[in-house]
Amino acid sequence: MQSKLSDIELIEQTLGGNQAAYADLIKRHQRFVFTLAMRFAKSREDAEEIAQDCFIKAYRSLSNFQQQSKFSTWLYSIVYTTAMTFLRKKRLDTSSIDDENVYLQIENQQGSFENNLAEKQSRSYYVNQAISQLLPDDATIITLFYTGEQSLEEIAEALGMEANTVKVKLFRARQRLKEKLEKLLKHEAKELI
Amino acid sequence: MNSIEEKLWNYIDGTCSPEEQQAISNLIETDEVYRRQYEELLALNLEFSSIELDEPPMAFTYRVMEAIRTEEAQVPLKAAINKNLIRGLFSVFAFIITAGILYAMFNINWSAGSSGSAANFSLPQVKLPVSLPPAQNVLTSTPVLKAFIFFDVVFGLFFLDSYLRKQRAAKQM
Repeated sequence: MQSKLSDIELIEQTLGGNQAAYADLIKRHQRFVFTLAMRFAKSREDAEEIAQDCFIKAYRSLSNFQQQSKFSTWLYSIVYTTAMTFLRKKRLDTSSIDDENVYLQIENQQGSFENNLAEKQSRSYYVNQAISQLLPDDATIITLFYTGEQSLEEIAEALGMEANTVKVKLFRARQRLKEKLEKLLKHEAKELI
Repeated sequence: MNSIEEKLWNYIDGTCSPEEQQAISNLIETDEVYRRQYEELLALNLEFSSIELDEPPMAFTYRVMEAIRTEEAQVPLKAAINKNLIRGLFSVFAFIITAGILYAMFNINWSAGSSGSAANFSLPQVKLPVSLPPAQNVLTSTPVLKAFIFFDVVFGLFFLDSYLRKQRAAKQM
């Protein structure tokens, strides 16, 4: 019964003191929030920390949620600001992944890369690999657009940008993703030969 | 100036005007370059849509809820006090003080001042069941007054000393 409730109904129940409703809200959005966090953190531990922070912040300011936008849009704006703060704190290197050292580092992180031939043959696997090599901003826009069910206007609201800026950024991110994907597939083809 | 690719992405996303949509649709049908690039981008769009979401750890929800519960348990006393309780207490005290003042006002003999030249208000007499010693004499006696002033001076000097010590310590830091 509970799973059929809308986000707004779950929020109202949470504000009424029902913490189990908030747990349901977390279960509903955790995969996406975690994925977005992974776009910034690049390690599961850091992504988990960011995602956890986001849900705690969202809980604290749930009463301020005006319901003028979707809850997911509001939540993603929290993810974005939390992740940016996290990046600033950790001073992670957000330079282009074209840097050979970083490229090698990411390849080494994918421990199962060499071991799972079936997975290697999956196109979606390569798309995910290519996304993980993008800059956080590009990866976030691509993820929000393709899996977050967010319109350009909603992405703009979540990221605090103009819709036109998001449109241009999305175009550039797609171009970069296409390049990364081609590079990855070429690299794989060479390895198989 | 929009490139062919940019126009086609707008067409795929449905973010261009109906006129542009129609024009691009015609170009795809007639122009080989447009058609080939459109098919390529359409395939790419399908691939991008297959992005898989990462799965958080099994106990993620539990951990978040535990963190929230811990945080709520650590709320400082100042924030935990119900504001309605404070307002209620304030109302009770305000009511008692107002009622006391009103009672006193009603019991004052207002006509006493109108007959004579000087104002002569007389407060209601309170008859206590026991007879207390006259406090007036004790308070106004010279030794008590001297002791009171002496105590005040010592107390004042003590606070002045501690204030100056703090100032000096702050400067040294």
